[in-house]
Amino acid sequence: MSFFFQELVNGVTTGALYSLVALGFSMVYGVLKLLNFAHGDLYMVGAYIGFFVIQWFGGAAHLTIPVPLLLLIMFVLAAGVVGGLGVAMERFAYRPLRDAPRIAPLITAIGISFFLESAALLLFGAQYRVYNTAEFISLSSGIQIGSVTIDSVQIMVLVLGIALMAGLRLLVNRTKLGKQMRAVAADREAAEMLGINVNFVITVTFFLGSALAGVAGVMGGLLFNQVTSTIGFIAGLKAFTAAVVGGIGSIPGAMLGGLLIGLAESFVTGYISSTYTNLLVFGLLIVVMLVRPSGLLGQAQLQKV
Amino acid sequence: MKGRLVLAAAAVGSLAVAGCASSSSSNGASGSTSSASASSGGGSGKTCTASVGFEGPITGPVAPLGTEQLHFAELAVSMDNAANKTKITLVQGDTQLQPAQATTVTQQFVSNSSIVAVVGPAGSQEVEAVGGPMARAGMAFISGSATAVALTTGKYPTFFRVVSKDSVQGPQDANYIVNTLHPKNLMIVDDQEAYSTGLVSAMVPVFQAAGVKVDHESVSQKVTDFSALVAKVTPATSVVVLPWQVAANAQQFGRDLAQQHKKALIFGTDGLFSPGTFTIAGSYVSSFGPDITAIPTDASIAAAAQSKYGSFGTFGPPVFAATHVIDEAIASVCKAGQTPSRSNVLAAIKQTSESTSILGQPISFDSHGDLTNGKFFLFKISTSGKYQLIPS
Repeated sequence: MSFFFQELVNGVTTGALYSLVALGFSMVYGVLKLLNFAHGDLYMVGAYIGFFVIQWFGGAAHLTIPVPLLLLIMFVLAAGVVGGLGVAMERFAYRPLRDAPRIAPLITAIGISFFLESAALLLFGAQYRVYNTAEFISLSSGIQIGSVTIDSVQIMVLVLGIALMAGLRLLVNRTKLGKQMRAVAADREAAEMLGINVNFVITVTFFLGSALAGVAGVMGGLLFNQVTSTIGFIAGLKAFTAAVVGGIGSIPGAMLGGLLIGLAESFVTGYISSTYTNLLVFGLLIVVMLVRPSGLLGQAQLQKV
Repeated sequence: MKGRLVLAAAAVGSLAVAGCASSSSSNGASGSTSSASASSGGGSGKTCTASVGFEGPITGPVAPLGTEQLHFAELAVSMDNAANKTKITLVQGDTQLQPAQATTVTQQFVSNSSIVAVVGPAGSQEVEAVGGPMARAGMAFISGSATAVALTTGKYPTFFRVVSKDSVQGPQDANYIVNTLHPKNLMIVDDQEAYSTGLVSAMVPVFQAAGVKVDHESVSQKVTDFSALVAKVTPATSVVVLPWQVAANAQQFGRDLAQQHKKALIFGTDGLFSPGTFTIAGSYVSSFGPDITAIPTDASIAAAAQSKYGSFGTFGPPVFAATHVIDEAIASVCKAGQTPSRSNVLAAIKQTSESTSILGQPISFDSHGDLTNGKFFLFKISTSGKYQLIPS
């Protein structure tokens, strides 16, 4: 039974990470109907920022500031810088194409993805950068229940991930800005006619979605320890899948999709074999899509005839 | 995301075909590659000039290894040019460890008449892809890291390698594990690349013959979360074998083992030789290349590499050896008063007989291009993270 709970903890932790990245993906799709394939690369940028913050403050083994302050700086800086990067992407790459055929911003998103990957490669080199989290957050500092281990980093990822998701849900459902975001997502032109500043809403959406990817990048760095220019690809792939399975455009759907993928990966690996993880997980997802083409929590689009 | 790749391929395909190879001069001279044939005049006082192609994963998931290989190829050309008074130029081609990309680069090299031989490619799967075109072009190519057994059965007559093959490393490592570490249960995890699965295929029969219970797992090289897999490591599992190319992944695997209080030790291969990255104390790493910083005769090369490129592992030195073989072949052709061409450089490479090399062993090739009497090196990581050579 302890094996089951260990895999549950592993799956929920990884799933929370997928959910955070998927949220940004889904938010952007919600307001712009744009598949932002560069979103995974924002995760990569966030992870690099976290790494360099550690280096700025003496490196993992010789930190010059307390660990909680370090973590705060890492998360805030990653959220701010990556959020700003997302806004810049929207302003200079996507906004000019807002009325272009949908294939145009899609191609642009792919171009930005490659641009960010290549820029990171040129700026930071090809070598893997290692967080060495265990140097400043002890592996034994978590919770031990029987043979089930939940370390401090996993707890932090879970708590912060849940808090961010809950906060985002509150923002979207309980605030004026959230109402405007929902209005833009439902009908951009109608929202504009009602006096909503659509450009501002889209900019905020990009900022929030990108900031979440930046925070997730730091979390990923702390959990998995390594950063390189290509880590955004898998993160983006998983986020895209999670968003689609949950129902693209749906915030609770993105959360659910991320958790489902994390748990499915963990249990397939644990109870069957890692050899078949992708085969079975994505096979399962195909079944989900066949049964509910709009995703688990997505709403089917009405066809006007 | 698959759509991303398809669209990306369409969008950048023409650019990739046109621009995936670039030239660089190793001697500070012009980096351009002439379309004219290589020329020489060793006997007539003219400069011995030729171009050598380099194929390696300069970008992509194993870019750290490919970059190290490129650096050592550049270093070899630079040192050999100075020693032999030659003017050899290195032309870079980024394969990203992808057979398709390697094929594109090879086609460019083949159509570039100034290129007389190629260093690389890095991966066995890439050699499989380019072996035919290289043979048809009569182009010698020497890999510093492709170890699959099938490459040297005679089907690629212009292929050579300066490292031993999996059928040597796999059983050698497996026997060491069985006879020295005495596991009853063992997990072996391939990374779904030809290099890794080839080694696993060579090791598993040895384990099974010794009565070791084997749990064979498989994870993509791009995966960085091993927590679910580590949860499967039972208390009875005393060894986890990771024939991987990404040292940072093994470091994370080791961290997950510690986080879940698992006592199994890691036994890795080749790509895990990375003193700055893979530092799990008590782990073993077997490598086709030696630690050249511990070989006194390599001191000048190690110092030059260190000062120019920073720290390095074991993927660079074999490429230095491969490049040096080509450079010497070109120089010998020039000394004989001939103009370097693919055919005479190929013939000279076949005749290679170096009594010593950067790898601490002689270099000569058998009739199928394999290194004669090649060997592997085994290291154990100390508690301070240092790699200590285990005498064979």
